[in-house]
Formats: sequence, structure tokens, C-alpha cells
Amino acid sequence: MTDMTTELIDQHTYLDSLGPIDYIVVEFPAGASSFTGEMSEALLSLVDAGTIRVVDVLILTKNEDGSVDAMELSDIEQLGPLQRVEAQLAELLAAEDVEHLAAAMDPGSTAGVLIWENLWAAPFASAARRSGGQLIATGRIPIQAIIASIEADEANATEGD
Amino acid sequence: MPLGPGRAGRVGVIGHPVAKTAVVAKAVTPGPAPVAKTAVVAAAVTPGRAGRRRRI
Repeated sequence: MTDMTTELIDQHTYLDSLGPIDYIVVEFPAGASSFTGEMSEALLSLVDAGTIRVVDVLILTKNEDGSVDAMELSDIEQLGPLQRVEAQLAELLAAEDVEHLAAAMDPGSTAGVLIWENLWAAPFASAARRSGGQLIATGRIPIQAIIASIEADEANATEGD
Repeated sequence: MPLGPGRAGRVGVIGHPVAKTAVVAKAVTPGPAPVAKTAVVAAAVTPGRAGRRRRI
């Protein structure tokens, strides 16, 4: 087997065991942020449990004129326990992604962008692929949609009384 | 602060401008009875909840 073939097999094996990658943008309106370290602790507990792997983090600030400043986690002087996460980050997001993500932000706000791999899902996804399954849909059900569904059920039940 | 040099000149992974997720923002905004809402949602995602059957 050539080195290139071995490398391709290694890449395929790695890709096959990769969990799905998700992202969130958490906005903190101007003057409303209160950083106590609680978020860092919660994130690190997920990392330590092997539930997720943090892939990328950016801190964005949208100025009143709509311009956006981006900060790397490594730019923060007092990272504390997050330092060990920062050491393992991949710069997955490109510069153009910053503009796309910041489109959701209000002027004057700051936002944390978090990209993570769902390690917990990797073995199941891998098993599904080995069984011949193909992922054809994925998504998230907002809590508000569940509330709306329940309220609609309750309204229908009331009408039926 | 400038972005890391590895982020420049690459094709992005997000692909399009992101819209604010209004429905999620509304759900997490404390309303008149956030505790009651929490209980209702918790019940909805708990197995064996009486009175709710799937209709297809």
C-alpha cells in the first residue's frame, strides 16, 4: 500500500468517526452581560465528560455603525480554565463567516460564537453509516414550538368540550 | 483585534448571513409565568405523559 493510499484510508477512518458539528451564537445585549465564569464551567464540564469537543470560539462585537470587531479566545488575557480549551481550537471559521454570523447581532451587542463537535453522537452516526443508513434530515425543535403545540392541543380540547 | 491569520482568504463554512432566531429568543425570555412554561415543556418531553397521543 502506498503512503497516499494509507493516508486516504486514515482520513476516511477519521471522517467516519467524526461527530456532527454544531454552532451557536449567544448574544449579550449592551450592558446586559454578567460574566461570572458560570458559562465556562458548564462548557468545560461537557468537554471533560467527553460529550463535546470545542472546535472554534470567537467573540464578536457589533458597533453602532454596524461594523464588527472579532476577537480570538487567545486575545483574552485572563482566560482562566478556558485556557486548555483554547489550546486545542481549530480555526474552522473563515473571515467571511464573521460577517455572516454577525448579521444576526444587534448593534451595540457582544456575542460569543461557539463551534463544537458532538462526540456523543459520533459512535451512533458511525454505526448508522456502517449499517447502510444515510442522514437525510436533521434539525432542532425550539422550545417555543413545543409550547405552541401544547397550547394548540389545549385549545382544541377546550373547543371539543 | 485582528483575526487569526489562518482565517483569511478561505471559503467560509456558514455560507449565508444568519438571521436572529426570534423563536428561541422568545422562548428564553422570562414571560409572565416562566416556571409554569418550564413545567409544561418538561411534561411534553417526558415519556408517558397522559392525554397526548401522536396523530399521523
